[in-house]
Amino acid sequence: MKLNRINKIVAFFTMVIVLTACTDELAKLNKNPNAYEEVNPKFLFTRALLTQANLNPNGNRFNNMQMLQQEATYSEVTAPGDKYFAEGYVRTNWNAYSGCLKDINLVIDASSKDPNNVNLRAVARIWRVYIYHQLTDLYGDIPYSEANKGLSGAYTPKYDIQSDIYKNMVVELDESAKALDASKTTYGSSDLIYSGNTTSWKQFAYSLMLRIGMRLSKIDMAESTRIVKLAIAGGPITTAGALAKIPYADGALTRNPLSDQARILDYVDGQNPLNVQGSKMSKRLIDHLKGNSTTTKDPRLNVMSILWVKQADKTYKADTATALQRGMQNAQFNGYPADFESYSEPNVDVVYSYSAPFVVMGPAEVNFLLSEAVVLGMHTGDAAAFYSDGVKAAMAQWALFGAGGVISSDKVTTYLANNPFKSAGTANDKVEQISTQKWVLFYLDQIENFANWRRTGYPVLIPTNYPGNITGGRIPRRYIVPESEETLNKTNFLAAKARQSGDNTLLSRVWWDKP
Amino acid sequence: MNLFTKAEGCLGHVTTIDLKPTIPGENRYVKYCKSQLISSNSILLVMKLTFIFLFALIFNVQAEGYSQKVTYSGENVAIEKVFSSIKKQTGYGFFFQKELIRLAKPVTINAVNEDLSEVLNSVFKDQPLEFSIQNKTILVLKKTVPVMIPESNLVNISELLEVKDIIVKGQISDTRGETLPGVSIKIKGTTVGATSDLDGRYTINVPNKNSVIVFTYIGYVTQEQTVNDRTTLNVKMEAANTALTEVVVTAFGLSRQKKALAYSVTEVKGEEFTTSRENNIANAFSGKVAGVNVTGMASGPGGSSRVIIRGNGSLSGNNQPLYVVNGMPISNIARAQAQGEGATILDRGDGISSINPDDIESVNILKGGPAAALYGSQASNGVILITTKKGAVQKGIGVEIGSNFTVGSPSMYPDLQYEYGQGLDGIKPLTQAQSISSGRLSFGAKIDDAVGGYVQFDGNASRPYSAVSVKQNWQNFYRPSTNLTNNVAFSGGNSSALVYRLGISDLRANALEPGSSYKRQSANLDVRSELGKKIIIETTFHYNSDQGTNRPGNGYADNTTSWATNLLANTVDIRNLAPGYDANFNEVQWQQVPEAQNPYFVINRMGNTDKKNRFMGQASIQYNLLKNLFVKLNGMRDMDRFESMDYMPFGTAKRPKGLFNSGTSFNTKSTAQLLVNYNATFLTNFQVTAMAGASIDRNVFNSTYNGGSEFIVPNFISFSNLALQTATIGFSSFGQNSAFGSAELSYKGIFYLNGTARQDWFSTLNPGKNSILYPSVGASVILSDAIKLPSLISFAKLRASYAQVGGATVSPYQINQAYGFQQGGHLGQPVQTTSTALSNPDLRPLTSTTYEGGVDIQFLKNRLGLDFTYYNRKTTDDIYSTAIASSSGYTSALLNVGELSNKGIEVLLTGQPIKSTKFNWDVSANYAYNKSTIEKLSSGLTQIAGVQIGRPFNTLRGRTYLENASGQRVFNRLSGYEVQSPEVEYGSGVPPHTMGLTNNFRYKNFAFNFLIDAKFGNIVQSGLSRYLYRFGLSKNTLPGRGPAGLTVSGVDQAGLPFTKTWKEAEVDTYYNNQASISPLTTSVFDGDFIKLRSVVLSYNLPVKKLKFVNLQSANFSLVSRNLAIIHKKITDFDPESAYTIGNDQGGSSNTIPRTRDIGFNLVVKF
Repeated sequence: MKLNRINKIVAFFTMVIVLTACTDELAKLNKNPNAYEEVNPKFLFTRALLTQANLNPNGNRFNNMQMLQQEATYSEVTAPGDKYFAEGYVRTNWNAYSGCLKDINLVIDASSKDPNNVNLRAVARIWRVYIYHQLTDLYGDIPYSEANKGLSGAYTPKYDIQSDIYKNMVVELDESAKALDASKTTYGSSDLIYSGNTTSWKQFAYSLMLRIGMRLSKIDMAESTRIVKLAIAGGPITTAGALAKIPYADGALTRNPLSDQARILDYVDGQNPLNVQGSKMSKRLIDHLKGNSTTTKDPRLNVMSILWVKQADKTYKADTATALQRGMQNAQFNGYPADFESYSEPNVDVVYSYSAPFVVMGPAEVNFLLSEAVVLGMHTGDAAAFYSDGVKAAMAQWALFGAGGVISSDKVTTYLANNPFKSAGTANDKVEQISTQKWVLFYLDQIENFANWRRTGYPVLIPTNYPGNITGGRIPRRYIVPESEETLNKTNFLAAKARQSGDNTLLSRVWWDKP
Repeated sequence: MNLFTKAEGCLGHVTTIDLKPTIPGENRYVKYCKSQLISSNSILLVMKLTFIFLFALIFNVQAEGYSQKVTYSGENVAIEKVFSSIKKQTGYGFFFQKELIRLAKPVTINAVNEDLSEVLNSVFKDQPLEFSIQNKTILVLKKTVPVMIPESNLVNISELLEVKDIIVKGQISDTRGETLPGVSIKIKGTTVGATSDLDGRYTINVPNKNSVIVFTYIGYVTQEQTVNDRTTLNVKMEAANTALTEVVVTAFGLSRQKKALAYSVTEVKGEEFTTSRENNIANAFSGKVAGVNVTGMASGPGGSSRVIIRGNGSLSGNNQPLYVVNGMPISNIARAQAQGEGATILDRGDGISSINPDDIESVNILKGGPAAALYGSQASNGVILITTKKGAVQKGIGVEIGSNFTVGSPSMYPDLQYEYGQGLDGIKPLTQAQSISSGRLSFGAKIDDAVGGYVQFDGNASRPYSAVSVKQNWQNFYRPSTNLTNNVAFSGGNSSALVYRLGISDLRANALEPGSSYKRQSANLDVRSELGKKIIIETTFHYNSDQGTNRPGNGYADNTTSWATNLLANTVDIRNLAPGYDANFNEVQWQQVPEAQNPYFVINRMGNTDKKNRFMGQASIQYNLLKNLFVKLNGMRDMDRFESMDYMPFGTAKRPKGLFNSGTSFNTKSTAQLLVNYNATFLTNFQVTAMAGASIDRNVFNSTYNGGSEFIVPNFISFSNLALQTATIGFSSFGQNSAFGSAELSYKGIFYLNGTARQDWFSTLNPGKNSILYPSVGASVILSDAIKLPSLISFAKLRASYAQVGGATVSPYQINQAYGFQQGGHLGQPVQTTSTALSNPDLRPLTSTTYEGGVDIQFLKNRLGLDFTYYNRKTTDDIYSTAIASSSGYTSALLNVGELSNKGIEVLLTGQPIKSTKFNWDVSANYAYNKSTIEKLSSGLTQIAGVQIGRPFNTLRGRTYLENASGQRVFNRLSGYEVQSPEVEYGSGVPPHTMGLTNNFRYKNFAFNFLIDAKFGNIVQSGLSRYLYRFGLSKNTLPGRGPAGLTVSGVDQAGLPFTKTWKEAEVDTYYNNQASISPLTTSVFDGDFIKLRSVVLSYNLPVKKLKFVNLQSANFSLVSRNLAIIHKKITDFDPESAYTIGNDQGGSSNTIPRTRDIGFNLVVKF
């Protein structure tokens, strides 16, 4: 009986030991059945494309589209570009680091292990340059060589000098383009842009290099020329078929992110006259598209712009008629104007179609770049031909946005005939003409629009001077690096700030943006 | 049957006594060695007395809640049966020799709620036996036979006694002169005793005039009187020092004498939760317990609560205490969730809000480390132990019925400007369009009460340009809130084989916001069964169903009514916005931003519901291996199914085609626990209690979400009707295995030493790094018993302890980097997703170490008491998701980062300024100060989001105006605005000083009680105030209105004098932007407050006079909560307007008003 009791006590303590020793079972508990533990380069590459396109659609609209005077608003709060006010939106693009840049770096790491994945690695590197190029153009000196190494414990990357970043981007593009090998594995259908077509990726790489090279025209003509020549030799995009775009479709998570946000926040279906953020097409853009006579009218006006006309039953109907289109003056209002309904809005069925593609780069831009290269003496060829090819491609591009975007070739021909390349003009006249075309072309690519405008100064925009604006009535020149960098990466941030005229404001300038 | 047998194996004599053989054929023996025994008879007695002591000790700890009243009826029943029933009802144990009992005659008794002594007297009447009460044991003896008693542990008998014929008589009363029946009277050093009768009279035979008579009565100070030559000895007994006798529930539901504890513990009685009640019992702690900081959400009835004990122990982990019900942990998941889209939060309650206050017997708050050390990691922030009500053996069924009804109205109204009305640029709106674009703006013309010219949002031009105060609008929009609780409880049990209590409760609350309601039905069944003497089975089942309907949105503008009720331009009557929609059910907008919805549209067209079905089942089996050794197996499962839904219908301005969210989740928390408890006495004066155990804890969360947007058919609110659907599933599981032990050693009930150790294994950390062993040790000394203290001091205790608690405050699956997939991919292509949070496979457990010391002193015969505690709690290796520079690729890294400490004091002062027969006044004041400091952060970091070395946790930082050395504001010459300073410290979001003051007045059957609750030293950063400023409703935006405009001056960035005049039409722009330049001056406030938290006036109906109804008691109270804000510095809102229970305290935004509740409470017992 005594033994029995002791046995029980022993049994109990044995149980205690058993209970507490089953750490294997604990480890199993910590396995997430819904998580995938490895990087799949293909599936993550798809994500890196989407996250780049989805980086800051609304911010780009509120900042650049407003300050480049293509959209206007009566709002004060969401008027960073219209009235040079709140700065918040200009920090969001920095999220590329923890978004698309992190993704693309993981893809590069994952695809570097197997030599057969040379195409995966090369394409990812090209895409990484595309992302970095936008980032450095917005912010100047940025973390580059040491960035995105958090996984290996590096939490405070140094800021690289923008000129060094430019040099390296060119090398990256050249190396990657040359590494492409049509006989090796590609991303296939995971590549939303080219479905694994290595030739197209090569063209994209050199198109991007062409853009990068031309960007230096103001600061370093020699370097600019070198890169432009290298790019042209490599062979940029020239045909519509090689246009780089990310496709979208109407659906729960597959809508074009800019369309989705612009429509939720502003341009709701069915026309709610009280646009949430009070936005309308700007007077500057509508006036430009309308031209000063019917002959100078840009046919894109009737594709991009509509006016909601009130019907007898108090509903609204979209009208694209030229005569009705009217733009709102930037920074004119701080409250709902009485004539708010009389201003044009972007054509939601085209511009903000849910299935609109995100155009990354296409023949229009390449042709404009080539035309400018000829004008600036970097390249030989027919600047006028490049120009008109550019205009044709730019107009044709809207057809990608749906039936409402189709512009007949007659209209294009007429437009070109009435608005020919200013072959007789000065280089400046030509650059202005080309850049003004790019200004219209980049309506939905406001990051490139901002960079091109800063480089060339065209089209000439008259700044507004709304009471209390934070730039003293000047159009911003740079984005502001988020304060989190000052807090979390202080030494490196301060070094970069000191290097770049000691400022981190909207009026700071990036290296190539020589005043 | 063997009464005793001799055995070998010990030195000297060995005696084995069969004490209570209950299982046929199996006798249990206890081995006992004693070197010297007087005779076999005395051996027997020694043994028995030893066990009386142990038994009494064990029983003591279970005796809480027993009365000295007995109900029993029966004819010719065996005396043992009566004893057994008395034992169950009163907790008094019986001790007797079996042979003796055989002499007893059957008895006939009919007692209803009679005093124990009375019942005993009638049981022993005409018996050849007599009884003696010692401590809580009734010793049955042969009548008038002198007893030979050896030295024993219990009564320190030192000599043989022979009873002489000195007869002493007397009457015993309390200090108020009321006689005390049932007082135990005995002769010191013997077991000879008597009991006072109903009139407090007693008679006892004493051996000689040097004899000392000891008078003992539960709850009173034991008195000793030497007989001398007296034959009449009247005694006045003092109410006992509760500090000496109080028994509290500690870890695993085990009771301990409070005086033995080396740490601070506070008990709150059940009735404190029910009279002046809070639906969420956690809110009822506010002001009651030193060191406990409660933040109730301003989110209507059924909302959640944030409880922090002795400061925040972890930077990013859960800082709330562990809730334990009847010894087993329950889950306290907060259901506050973001609603729809945007920044609005719907507070859908938390785990603790399920508990029905009426089921609570008592709540013990274990603040100190040693208390929590046994519960392990989950208890690193303290433990709130809830003991639910149990049944008791009684005649018939005890029925208790309670009703509580309160009506609420806003606790305060904002103080805003009514000089300038709706409009912008200094102009009143002249068109409907202008009116809509300035719907929230009060930057218009001077209010002139003129009719005409002023057009409102609906185009109506006939309303006067007159002030409409926020108070008027609140009163017109909101309704009085109501809170009605009805509950009934049945309890009883004919014998200890089955004792039960069933409590059923129904709560119906209507929030201030029309259409918003909360209901809670609960049932709680507790069944306890003693199968023989060895096995005790206890089960508790709790079920509750909570339903929230149209809970108010809080936080930002979307989906809230409070945005409009607070920010509507000050010349608009809110009723003009009704019904909020037009003939086509489209929202009628009162201003141009659709996020800021029409409040009538919100209540009339939008909706949300949630429903929680929660079941907690607990079962335990205790097996008494020996009298002093038991094994207890306890299992508990806490599970709840939660369903929620919210929608914006077709026609919502912000989402014209509507939006819909719905989700269900099913969560379980399962705990199994095995305990072995042993206690023994050795070397006469030493007593040891040892406990060892193991537990397993498993948690599983399953959830599904179905939602989307764009209803296909208008006005059909269903997931199936959505054009864009998304669905996700969620799953996570985690667990913990633990082994633990504790030992307590005491000497003479004067010195106590206890120690614990626990080892935890966590599933959320990687093997090899997932385990931690941590100890605690504590000591206390009853100074007043150990040494002679001045008579001024009636009780004094010193205590000190050191404790560690390990923890793994990390969610499941966070330690290994993992990837997911985007729902549906993109156009047929799979899309892998990544996280911006950096995981950390090397994460190890954190440690929270507490040093605590305290003193508990009672003065002036316990009329004045002081309990003082100092603690120093330090968390090292805190697990924190640190913000890192996103240029690293990740925005946060999970690290064992830093060290934070909380040092503080807790003071409890209790007093009885007036103590008389008819009138009593009790005062209790508590004060706590907690100093939180971030001591260290991981290398290279000096500051991480809101966290800075050397500064308190939750230090809010931000910018303000930059000033030059001579205090002039620096302006940006380009913009004309003030230049922002670098980040400065605003203050602490958590009040370091918390205090409460309770006053109890009792006059005859009336009682008056009030509680004042105060917090000091924190700041509140208010989103609402920022908008009141931006929109021109704040009085601070009055300067510069009118034609002269606002002239600002200072210096520019180059140091040159700067002056700028903002024109009348520009003043609105200036204030609008300025709000974000210096939040410090525009929306940061001193959060100090003093509130009259609760007031209760109650009347005990003299039920004894109402013989015609069979009432035991009846109490009617007038109750009030939050009756008045006695002091505050914030003018815009109630200082307690938190809307999130997260760690980021100190922020405040749009919430529905907090309420002041007045009503009544009725409790009737049959």
